[in-house]
Amino acid sequence: MTKRYVLVHDENKCIGCQACNVACRSENNVPESVTRIQVRIEGPYGNFPHLHFKYNRVSCEQCENAPCVKVCPTGAAYVNDDGIVSINEKKCVGCLYCVAACPYKVRFINPETRVPDKCDFCKETRLARGEEPACVTVCPTQALVFGDANDMSSEVRKVLDTKPHYQQKVNLGTEPRVYRIPSRKGGIKA
Amino acid sequence: MNNIWGSMEQYDPVVWNWIIAVYLFMAGLSAGSMLVAIGLKWYKQSRGLPTEGLPVIKAAAVIGPVAICLGMALLVLDLTKPFEFYHILLNYNLTSVMAWGVIALLIYIPLVFVFAALVFEKQVLHYAPWLAGVLKVCRQVENTLNKLIFALGLGVGVYTGFLLSAMISYPILNTAVLPALFLASAMSVGSAGNILVATLFFSKKESDCIEQVHRIEYPVAFNEALCLVLLFVGLNFSGPAAQAATAAITTGTWASVFWIGVVGLGLVVPVLASTLAPKAWRHSKGFLITVSCSTILGVLALRHFVVYAGQSYIS
Ligand code: SF4
Ligand code: SF4
Repeated sequence: MTKRYVLVHDENKCIGCQACNVACRSENNVPESVTRIQVRIEGPYGNFPHLHFKYNRVSCEQCENAPCVKVCPTGAAYVNDDGIVSINEKKCVGCLYCVAACPYKVRFINPETRVPDKCDFCKETRLARGEEPACVTVCPTQALVFGDANDMSSEVRKVLDTKPHYQQKVNLGTEPRVYRIPSRKGGIKA
Repeated sequence: MNNIWGSMEQYDPVVWNWIIAVYLFMAGLSAGSMLVAIGLKWYKQSRGLPTEGLPVIKAAAVIGPVAICLGMALLVLDLTKPFEFYHILLNYNLTSVMAWGVIALLIYIPLVFVFAALVFEKQVLHYAPWLAGVLKVCRQVENTLNKLIFALGLGVGVYTGFLLSAMISYPILNTAVLPALFLASAMSVGSAGNILVATLFFSKKESDCIEQVHRIEYPVAFNEALCLVLLFVGLNFSGPAAQAATAAITTGTWASVFWIGVVGLGLVVPVLASTLAPKAWRHSKGFLITVSCSTILGVLALRHFVVYAGQSYIS
């Protein structure tokens, strides 16, 4: 694996506007009833009057050690050469094992294809054309940074090297490739 | 609720539903009844007693194949792409417990049919005389066959537990106790199922083999109870998320299912019935039927409890 695509979500910059959510929907033709990304507005946290909200991005974490891939009986859930956790629709039987096993609950059955669906960093469309994922491009506050973490000169590398960050549920050993910069008010909470 | 980020419906942590619970029950029933029947056969043989025509073995020969086939049918119908289920027979990802289960079942299912055909040899030959040659060959390797079925039965019983315990983010499921619990309860539902079918259809008199099946019920019930205790005590010491999951047996609908179904019907009723009931009752048909039905319902409740409560608490 020469590339290691990662995404950083800066929870200080995020305003919970859902532009990413909407852009993803139109880019990937996600049916109305389901979603690949949500930015949940959680809270308020803190003591009055110093209240704040947390912006929690919920999307596939592209786990390096992906439970969904491990449990899939047919190998329909697999890791692509670029490290992106992908789905081979032809091999899938729709047993829902991967949906149940994903600790982040980000897999869902696409009502049109009857196959599990989730964020794939727009790999077949935008990434293939050398562009960034739709959510990253559209974010009005530049809260999202995307790139190849193996490339020492990439912006994503710089951000990860200089800013404190955390990943969700690290205790499960999934090694997510979505990193989060914690809100200065919130502190680190995985 | 209307959130600005959209519907939360797809994030329901309960992904596998009652169909899976019933499948797990059926697989356990089939495996358990084969284990009990073959175990009983070996026990009898080791004492030089006859094993032909024992009602419990006949019962297992019916339950073994029927239960696993019904279970498989449910499982396939529950897939989102039921007509493409053959992919699961062509591609094997060996890190997946389910793939191992497919391999085990692929050998187990035909073998239980052979077992049944040997038990009902006369009837089979009556309707299908052309099978005589095949059955003769099977009869010659019967002992090896039984050992193989026994090993695969253990495999099937245990795999149903590993299937769930591989899901790392559910504290109730992700424990090493679960496969042991499923195997123990498979044995108890297997012996209860054998007794039920034997008394209903095959026994002409009070049969001593029912007594022997009863004898394995105590250790099995004890193991089942022990596994349940270990499961919840273990959760209590495994960090906050796991500790929160112990609420599964104290609050909500699934707590009632647990105490009334799993503990009450599955453990307390059968144990009390066979210790306290007056001697005269113990071999009456009504008594055997009631007690075995109670055990069967208890195990059915256990599978539902584990599937639903297990998935409701996520760490
Ligand atoms: S977040 Fe879920 S779907 Fe994405 S790679 Fe990890 S386990 Fe798989
Ligand atoms: S639903 Fe499809 S991709 Fe998911 S585990 Fe089952 S076969 Fe694999």
